[in-house]
Amino acid sequence: MQGAAIKRPVLITIVCILGFTWIVFSFPGVFAPSLKKLGDWYPALFGILVATSFISYIGLWHMKRWGVQLFLISFFVKETLLVLINDVSYAGIFFSAFFICSMLPFYKRMDVNL
Amino acid sequence: MVFWSLFKESIVFALQALVSNKLRSILSLLGITIGIFAVIMVFTIVDSLEQNLRKSVQSLGDDVVFIQKWPWEGGGPDYPWWKYLNRPVPDYKELNYVLENCDGAQSAAFMVAGNATVKYKSSSIENVTVICASHQYDRVKNFEIAEGRYFTEIESASGRPVGVIGDVLAKALFPNQSAIGQTIKVRGAKVLVIGVFKKEGESILGGSPDTQVLIPVNYARSLIDINDDNLDPQIMVRAKPGISNDELISELTGLMRSRRRLSPLEEPDFALNQTSIISNVFDDLFNVVGIAGWIIGGFSILVGGFGIANIMFVSVKERTNIIGIQKSLGAKNYFILMQFLFESVFLSVIGGFIGLLIVYLLTLVAGDSAGMAIQLSRSNVILGFTISILIGVVSGFVPAYGASQLDPVEAIRSS
Repeated sequence: MQGAAIKRPVLITIVCILGFTWIVFSFPGVFAPSLKKLGDWYPALFGILVATSFISYIGLWHMKRWGVQLFLISFFVKETLLVLINDVSYAGIFFSAFFICSMLPFYKRMDVNL
Repeated sequence: MVFWSLFKESIVFALQALVSNKLRSILSLLGITIGIFAVIMVFTIVDSLEQNLRKSVQSLGDDVVFIQKWPWEGGGPDYPWWKYLNRPVPDYKELNYVLENCDGAQSAAFMVAGNATVKYKSSSIENVTVICASHQYDRVKNFEIAEGRYFTEIESASGRPVGVIGDVLAKALFPNQSAIGQTIKVRGAKVLVIGVFKKEGESILGGSPDTQVLIPVNYARSLIDINDDNLDPQIMVRAKPGISNDELISELTGLMRSRRRLSPLEEPDFALNQTSIISNVFDDLFNVVGIAGWIIGGFSILVGGFGIANIMFVSVKERTNIIGIQKSLGAKNYFILMQFLFESVFLSVIGGFIGLLIVYLLTLVAGDSAGMAIQLSRSNVILGFTISILIGVVSGFVPAYGASQLDPVEAIRSS
């Protein structure tokens, strides 16, 4: 690997493992009939959000700043979408907020490169 | 500009890698093909069944209330059938009462249906559904007449021996001639054919007009007992525009209670049914099938994704020294990343495309044999392609990112 790898804090490791687990179980949700009923493009949009979150966790795992940035973008896009379709999950917001709070203290220590 | 030329170059590299390992590429995209096929096939069947059901329910009339002896909802071990068994069936006089007193009704018709053998000269067809209906039947039930006409009011009222027959019957009884003006025999009684229904195809709920004969109920009195419990006599009432089914049901409840002289404490001895009862039952069923397809297909695509990820790791390992050379010549990290990411996306999209193609071909074959329209919808095509792209990105990202982070010196040294 290029350059010296930044040591990953335990909290970030836990966040990433929880995130990867969430991705595995939420991926089949892309095919949920309820999502399909909202419109032709909603499953695709939800799929993009799942893929973006997955990539952001990989960035986070490697202690890259783009991982945090991508996570924040996907979080806000997802919540805006959920507000628009009137399906806001407070538990989802709580977990995402917890994840963001866990990432931000380590943001300055993270690598700026790809 | 530089970005786009690198972008194009990485696509070319990815395609070259796929072409040079044909068998491996085919085997690894099979997982996605099967996954996309499973999910989209289930969705296509569920969507098509749902569409056909909605069409059938619409032909019954979603603003029509059916006054009957038996309610449509219920069933199971706790169904109190004994409560309904001794109820009286709706009769023709009650239709007149409804027509005279119901303000929310646009039209209403009395109907009984039974089976009979229909004959024309030496040809005969058994078990044909004979609908015996009052005059406003054409305003309550949605159907079209392809040839000829419907009964006149005089024909209905005086019970003339005239009838409208289904398209399938017309073709079977009169293969090389027009059915209009011909006389058929229904239960041995002569019926002059004055119209032929427009072909509708099979209905998921049964009762397609293609195989029916419609005769005036006043004529049917001489052939059958129109109050026979087994023929399920019913009054169909269509709501006026702007009147909801609930409002109509409420008015009809009051009218029928008053007509049957039921005291306020007595339970109604009639059922007011509406098509939403059928839709709700089928909606639940389709939801269960859809969820089953979603779980099975979703996880099979996930497994397909693991297959692509695995093959991408092998691909990176194989080309480590080439990556080293590219990086030492100045290739950026994102160029290496895109090269492998495109490779996995191509694999996945080709797999998804084959899966969709198989579904499409099967819908062509199954559509003909199933007797109902099975169509691969636009939303399912979008879903199939999007999922293929996403699974390609998700499964290819880790190996591609790993490749982009390789140290050029160590990568060149690797054997």
